Amino acid sequence: MNHADRRRFLRGLGALGAAGALPLWARQTLAKQAPADDRILVIFELSGGNDGLNCVVPHGDDAYYRHRPGIGIPASALLPVDDHFGFNPGMAGFKRLWDRGDLALFHGCGYDAPSFSHFTSMAYYHTAAPNSGEALGWVGRLADAVAPEAPSNFLVNVDATQSLAVKSARHTPVVFDDPRTFQRRGSAAEQDVLARVGGGAVNPEAGGASNTRAYLREVARSGRDAAQRVRDAWSSYNTPVDYGLTALDLDKIAACIAAGLPTRLYYTSFRNNAFDTHVQQAALHRRLLTYATDAIAAFLDDLERLGMADRVLLLAFSEFGRRVGENANRGTDHGTANVMFLAGRRVRGGHYGESPDLERLDDSDNLLPTTDFRRVYATAIDGWFAPGGADTVLRGSYPVFDALT
Amino acid sequence: MTPGSSLPNFTSGGICRRRPAAARGTADWQAIGLLAFIVLLPPGSAGAAGSVLDPISASDWQRADAAHLLERTGFGPSAAEIDTLHALGPEEAVRRVVYFEGIPAAKLPPFDHSGVFDEGLDPFPPSRPATTALAKRDGEALGVQVKAGGDRPIQPVVNRFFYWLRASRLETNRVAYWWAERMLTSPRPLEEKMALFWHGHFATNEDKVRDYRKMLQQLELFQRKGMGNFRDLLIAVAQDPAMLAFLDAGVNVKDAPNENFAREIMELFTMGVGHYGEQDVREAARAFTGWNFRGLEFHVDPARHDDGEKSVLGARGNFDGVDVIDLILAEDVTAEFLAAKLYHYFVRDTLHDELRGELGELLRSENYELRPFLARLFASRDFYSARGERILPPVELVVATYRRLGLEKIPGNPDFNALTSRLGQHLFHPPTVAGWAGGRSWITPGLLFERGNFILDVVFPDIAFIPPDRYPQRTPNILSVHEGLRSGMSISQATQPPGVAGNMAASNAMVDSDEAFNTRYGSYRGWQMAIERVKPIPRHTARLDLTTLVLDGGAETPRDAVELLTARFFTVQPTPERRDRIAGFLRDSIGSDDLGAAASYLEEPLRQALHLLLSEPEYQLG
Repeated sequence: MNHADRRRFLRGLGALGAAGALPLWARQTLAKQAPADDRILVIFELSGGNDGLNCVVPHGDDAYYRHRPGIGIPASALLPVDDHFGFNPGMAGFKRLWDRGDLALFHGCGYDAPSFSHFTSMAYYHTAAPNSGEALGWVGRLADAVAPEAPSNFLVNVDATQSLAVKSARHTPVVFDDPRTFQRRGSAAEQDVLARVGGGAVNPEAGGASNTRAYLREVARSGRDAAQRVRDAWSSYNTPVDYGLTALDLDKIAACIAAGLPTRLYYTSFRNNAFDTHVQQAALHRRLLTYATDAIAAFLDDLERLGMADRVLLLAFSEFGRRVGENANRGTDHGTANVMFLAGRRVRGGHYGESPDLERLDDSDNLLPTTDFRRVYATAIDGWFAPGGADTVLRGSYPVFDALT
Repeated sequence: MTPGSSLPNFTSGGICRRRPAAARGTADWQAIGLLAFIVLLPPGSAGAAGSVLDPISASDWQRADAAHLLERTGFGPSAAEIDTLHALGPEEAVRRVVYFEGIPAAKLPPFDHSGVFDEGLDPFPPSRPATTALAKRDGEALGVQVKAGGDRPIQPVVNRFFYWLRASRLETNRVAYWWAERMLTSPRPLEEKMALFWHGHFATNEDKVRDYRKMLQQLELFQRKGMGNFRDLLIAVAQDPAMLAFLDAGVNVKDAPNENFAREIMELFTMGVGHYGEQDVREAARAFTGWNFRGLEFHVDPARHDDGEKSVLGARGNFDGVDVIDLILAEDVTAEFLAAKLYHYFVRDTLHDELRGELGELLRSENYELRPFLARLFASRDFYSARGERILPPVELVVATYRRLGLEKIPGNPDFNALTSRLGQHLFHPPTVAGWAGGRSWITPGLLFERGNFILDVVFPDIAFIPPDRYPQRTPNILSVHEGLRSGMSISQATQPPGVAGNMAASNAMVDSDEAFNTRYGSYRGWQMAIERVKPIPRHTARLDLTTLVLDGGAETPRDAVELLTARFFTVQPTPERRDRIAGFLRDSIGSDDLGAAASYLEEPLRQALHLLLSEPEYQLG
């Protein structure tokens, strides 16, 4: 198949919802559907700018090898996807998900007037509002839309600091890094008193009964609730599933789900700009992808084990892709369009969106995006998590891919 | 603006500042001028309805009001400061706080530069690849020549690149310490607080600017002009090298305008979304073309400036950047936007439309002079009705806590920058171009825990503390390179990514020996070179004597101690149940109800009690 044919084919697949790409056995479970208010969305960030072209490799396109004479991965080394694409050899986890029809690939995702700054472009993905000063994150706005009464523990962010993505007008995201230390520190003597911080009744007649105070006391209480529940969830969690060398916090999320936390939105990240592979990237990038896809596939297996697979969808993204041509150091510099992923039992595995043309690049030798990245967010929201909610959350209308059941 | 401009009411330069509002010759302006006049009527003559902006009367002025004024315009006032201000009465108190009447100019030491910069580092290329490309082309970069032969000929250039990245970042953390010391000790704290406001408003991040000198210069601009005229400040910021670097001025050139700055100035600095069109952004960007910096100076490159006619916000003319700023300032919405933002920062999170309009008119009628606006705000009844409703931003919480503890220096342990970043406000590193979201977003369950854990780290210092300005704790790669080299490995071996040693080693080593430079080694060497030059941050802990504080304050029982500490530290008291519980804890700890008799062993239980008390959620309110 030449490139133009290939692109037409992909468009066709998108229109058909790629159902044809799904193995029969995988489609047999589709009838079972969790009620909308039981559904859990997990967002997994690949920080640093994952090199999409060496992740889902277009081996059927000669231009790929021309642009990347040194770091282009030969077709024979790839994990087969189809006659045009293959996975980076490190991506055993995604290969497994793909083969069972649980992985959707969204090609050419990006936005207009791209920023090449990690910081700025990540903020655009976090807020779903490129080139604006939006202060709230899209996951936070999603929580606001779905649960405006803001119940405790609805939104969990596993990280050392809170992501802009979960910044919400109404919710107070539960943010923790290590579940074992998600607590107020203090000596043994202080523990009894610390356990009830924020307790007691406010006498409104004595003044000082402001909304802000009520909010703080609510956070204190939900922190108290969450901390204990998160610590308990973690200490009682025990899985036979092998997450690989590092679970990238997905085991912590599985523990929370297993323990029945009321959380419906989880956010976590492969941290510290890990994917910023400017130099000698081949071995490092492969390894990063192994870690990431091992952990994601294991997470979904773990959910199967827990009987929760129908309730959970995972979205993975990075703040930008990388330059099409390799650089002089056998690495790649910051780029534009990239591949995004949805994974889970509810996914119609397959290709979505148009693969960017490697022969027609922009002024900075970057891919021209074919798919607004917000279409993938909209797909996760309207296609499954909160049907009808995407326009409000994303503050605009983005065509949804028929990628979920 | 050219004489042919189609905006007859505007003279060149300072349109908003130089002409009295009522003289602008349109019905709108007259109406606004009249309204502004009404708003500015002296107290008592505002008519029956009155306004929440009417000043608090001298007879209503309580000690708690004086405390509120100091708290909001400064950092954790002492009892003596509150008493002094209370005695002055509201009018004089506000004049003192805002105009510094009777307060000598601060004699605060200037920033003590480590001496990390030299001329070869300027201009600093935008990236490592750009640096090495430059070195390959010219045979030198950053003042360092490419080696004549031997291994890795470009390595010294790369080392120097990473040296500056690291040195600038570490030095910026020293600037943050310097600033925090000023917040702690300045007799004119509102200067520092306004600088903090502007730092969030004109959010600029060192990660992108990569030059502590520019960050310091921008801070000094905020400190110097932050209470003056907004037009002056806005122009100065638009011509400030840190801002120009941060918002990509260098690539905003004639025929290829970059809209980044033009968009941010309208969206974030002046009007807010919805009050201008994409066309305005594009045309305004043209007016700012050619604006750039050289070293630490603003510089206009005429060849890169587009001097054609532009159409911005309904006006046409051959505008430059200052003209565009004046057009923006002439929009009603600009004064409202800024007034509302100041209101949110100093008063409360919520603001109804009517008051928003009133505040906008007030600021406009003052021709964007900030001092009279702030004075009016701080004298208003509305301001005093918002006591205890504001969540302290992390930097304010930390400095106010230190002041209330009576410290005269910011402790080095805990590290101020690591601490404030854990709490969500690392100075010179705002999360986005929109600054810190503020208000309730400061608080999450984890962050509330951290605010309590901060107190623990102050009253019982972490003895496992490792100075982050010396030891690369957060960059483990640097440590592994260091250890590898020390144990005799080659640069190629020592810089292999962890875990790659197995089957990839041979191919990696082969590629590595061909390379012109090694980035990982450069990053390691850059760290070494940086810590040799950047002065260390002193790592003293807080030296406290709570026993004396409590006993000298007249406390005789654990209950007295808790009440005394509550009065000293809190605006909104924790619930009676919690205060009882903590007093009970203190009594159990010392085994007695007599503080005086327990004086020799009181310190440790008192510190625990203070930790417990300040862990209460009410401590976040001011």
